[in-house]
Amino acid sequence: MTADLTLRPAARLTRPRAAPLRLDTAIGHAVMVILAVFCLFPVYWMIVTSLRPANEIFDATLWPTSASLENYAHALRSIPVWRMLANTFAVSALVTLAQVVTGLLAAYAFARWRFRGDRLVYSMIAMTWLVPFQVVMIPNYLLVANMGLLDSLSALIIPHFAGALAVLMLAQAMRSFPAEVIEAARMDGAGNWRILWQVIAPNLRGTIASLAILVFISTWNEYFWPLLLSRSPENSVIQIGIQMFMTSEGTAWGPLMAAATMASLPILLIYIVLQRQVVQSFMKSGIR
Amino acid sequence: MIRKTLAGAMALLASTAIGAQAQTIPATVDQPVTITYYNYNLASTGNGADATRRMIADFEAANPNIKVEGIGASSAELTSRVQADIAANRVPDVVQMVFSDLAYGVDNLGVVGLEDIVPQAELAAHFQGMSPKGLKLGVLNGKTYGLAYTFSTPVLFYNADLFRKAGLNPDQPPKTWAEVKAAALAIRDKTDAEGIAAGIFGPSAGDWLFQGVVRSNNGAILSDDRKTLTFAEPAAVEAVAMLRDLYDSEAYTNLDVTAAMEGMAAGTIGMYLQTSAIQGFLVRGAEGKFDLRATTMPRFGDKPQRPNNSGSALVIMAKDPVKQRAAWELMKHMTSKEAYTIITRDIGYLPLRAEIVDDPAYLGEWVKTHPLVRPNLEQLEMLEPWTSFPGPNYRQIQKIMMEGAEMAVFGGMDPAEAMKAAQDTAQTMMPK
Repeated sequence: MTADLTLRPAARLTRPRAAPLRLDTAIGHAVMVILAVFCLFPVYWMIVTSLRPANEIFDATLWPTSASLENYAHALRSIPVWRMLANTFAVSALVTLAQVVTGLLAAYAFARWRFRGDRLVYSMIAMTWLVPFQVVMIPNYLLVANMGLLDSLSALIIPHFAGALAVLMLAQAMRSFPAEVIEAARMDGAGNWRILWQVIAPNLRGTIASLAILVFISTWNEYFWPLLLSRSPENSVIQIGIQMFMTSEGTAWGPLMAAATMASLPILLIYIVLQRQVVQSFMKSGIR
Repeated sequence: MIRKTLAGAMALLASTAIGAQAQTIPATVDQPVTITYYNYNLASTGNGADATRRMIADFEAANPNIKVEGIGASSAELTSRVQADIAANRVPDVVQMVFSDLAYGVDNLGVVGLEDIVPQAELAAHFQGMSPKGLKLGVLNGKTYGLAYTFSTPVLFYNADLFRKAGLNPDQPPKTWAEVKAAALAIRDKTDAEGIAAGIFGPSAGDWLFQGVVRSNNGAILSDDRKTLTFAEPAAVEAVAMLRDLYDSEAYTNLDVTAAMEGMAAGTIGMYLQTSAIQGFLVRGAEGKFDLRATTMPRFGDKPQRPNNSGSALVIMAKDPVKQRAAWELMKHMTSKEAYTIITRDIGYLPLRAEIVDDPAYLGEWVKTHPLVRPNLEQLEMLEPWTSFPGPNYRQIQKIMMEGAEMAVFGGMDPAEAMKAAQDTAQTMMPK
C-alpha cells in the first residue's frame, strides 16, 4: 500500500515529458481518429439521409441542399414509431429482468450444490447456446399460437424468459465468489434465499450489470422472432417497423433512415450514460 | 428448413382439404363472420398499405356481416407464415400469394379451386370483362386457383437525358436486344453512366424476369406436362448466351437488384429492365433531375416478346363454407373495377380488367397524364403466366436454375454446360 502511494507521483511527473515527442503515440492517435471517423460515418450518413428529399437520396454530397424534417413526419405518419419504441423498450426491459432473475436462480444451484446429473444439465444448457434461434422458431411459434398469445407482446417475452448466456455468466461469477463469505453468512443463520439475494447478488453487481446490458441490447436488436410473430404494427417492435419501409417496389430510404435514427436514440442514450459498463460487458463476454 | 419440416403436415392437410372442397358455398353471409386476409402490402408502408386498408374498409362497409382481419407479412416470408399458421391450426382464409408459390400452395397448402366452391354462373359473371390472358395466370391443371391481383410485366425504363448525351433518339427507344446492346455501348462510350442493368439476377430477383427473357426466345423452363425441366434446351441456352454476350461487351452491368434500381433512380444507369411496379420509386428519384421514360421489354430479332407477369394472386384457403363465401365476396371486391383502379393508380400494378383503362369513370383520365404506364398496358395483351415449379422443392429448383444462369452470364462458364449441369441437378428434385 505504501509503495503504491510513493510511486504514483513519480509516474505523473514523467508523463508530460515523454508523451508529445513519441512518434508511435502520434501514429496511434491518428489511427484511432481514422477508426473513429470510420465508425461514426455510417451514423452521420444515416442522419444526413434522413434529412434529404426523395430526389436527393442518392446524392453523394455531405449535406443536402434542402434539408428538411419531412422524412421524420412521413415515418411518424406511416408507422406508430413511439408505440413501437415503447413496445421494444418494454420487451427488452422485461426480457432482461427475467433473464437476470432466472439466471441468478439457476446459477446459484449450479455453483452451490452438487446433485446427480448437474454437470450434464449444465452442459446441456451450455449447448443450447450453440443452437441458432431459427431452429426452434417454429416449435416456439406453435407453442405461443396454442397459448393464444399471437399478436401480443407476451409472445415476444415468454420464450426468452431464460437464457443460456445468463446462466453461464452468472454461474461462472458465483463459482469464483469466496466460499468463506457464504459459510460466514450461513453461520449467521442465513438460508439459501437470503444468501443469494443479500450476500451474493449485491457483490456480483458488475457481472449482473454487464449481463443486463448485453441482454437488453441483443433483445432490442432482435429481428427474426418478432418478424414471424408480427401481425400488426401496434403489437410489434421498432425493428419490424423499420423493415416496413423496404418493399419489392423500392425502399423508402429517407423515412427508413428517419425511423432508424429515432430507433437508435434510446440505445445511444444508454451507451452515453453507461459507456464504461457497456464496453466492459463486451470485453467480458466477447463481442457479439 | 422450416418449409421441409412442415412439408409432411402440409401434404396431409392438403389431402384432407380436397375432400372438403366438393361443396357449394351459401348464397349469402347471413351471420357475423371474421375472415383473415394475409397481404404483403400490409407489411409495408406507403401507397400499397394505405390502398389495401382503404379497400378493406370499403368492403366491410358494404358487407356489414363480414369482418376482415388483415395480417401483414413480407412477400418473401408470406408463404412461410401461412405454413406456420396452418401447422398452428389457424388456416388463413384469403391469401395474397406470389405466383411462383401458387403450385406449392395448391399441392401442399390446400388452396381452393374457385370452380369447386363458386357456382359456375356466378364465376362467369365475375370473370366478365377480365383480360383472358390475365385470367390464365391463376389457372393450374385447368382450374382457377387464383385471381391476378397485384401483377405487372417487365418494362425497359430509360433515362432520356443520357440517350440525348449519347447521341441516341429517346423518342425511338431500343426494341430488340441487339438495339439495346448498341444503345448501352453508346451510353457507356459517351457518358459516365452504365449502359443497361436488369433485375434478372440476385438474391431477391426470383426467376420471373429470367423466364420472360427465355420465353421471348421461344424457350421454356418446364415441359407442358410439368414433369421435365427444359431450361437447358437450345432456345433457353441461346437466351442465356445473349445475356452473356451483353455482359462480355460491357453493355450490361452486373448489379444487384436493389443497387440497379437505385442506380437507375440516381441517374447513373441508361436503361433498366424491371417490373413496372417500381415505377413510383423511379419517378420520385428522377423528379426534377432527369427525363424518365419507359418502353416494352426487348425482343429477340423478329420474334415477338413474350413477357410473363410478376406479382401475386388472391387465393382462398378457407375450409368452412360460410367463410368461403365471405372470402369469395372479399376476392370479388378486391378484383372489381374500383379495386383495379386503385391498384393501378395508387400501387402501380396492372388492371386485370382492361376495359377500365380508357373508361373516364375509372382510369381514363389518369392514364392520359401518366404515359409511363402505357408499355405495361400494351404488354397485358401478350402476357403469359409466370411458371411455378411443381413439388415441395420448387424453391431449390428455381435457385439452382438461377445460379446456373448466373454462372453462365457473369461467372465465365459456358452457357450450355452451366445450364445442363443445373438442369440435371434440379431434375432430381422434381416430383417423381
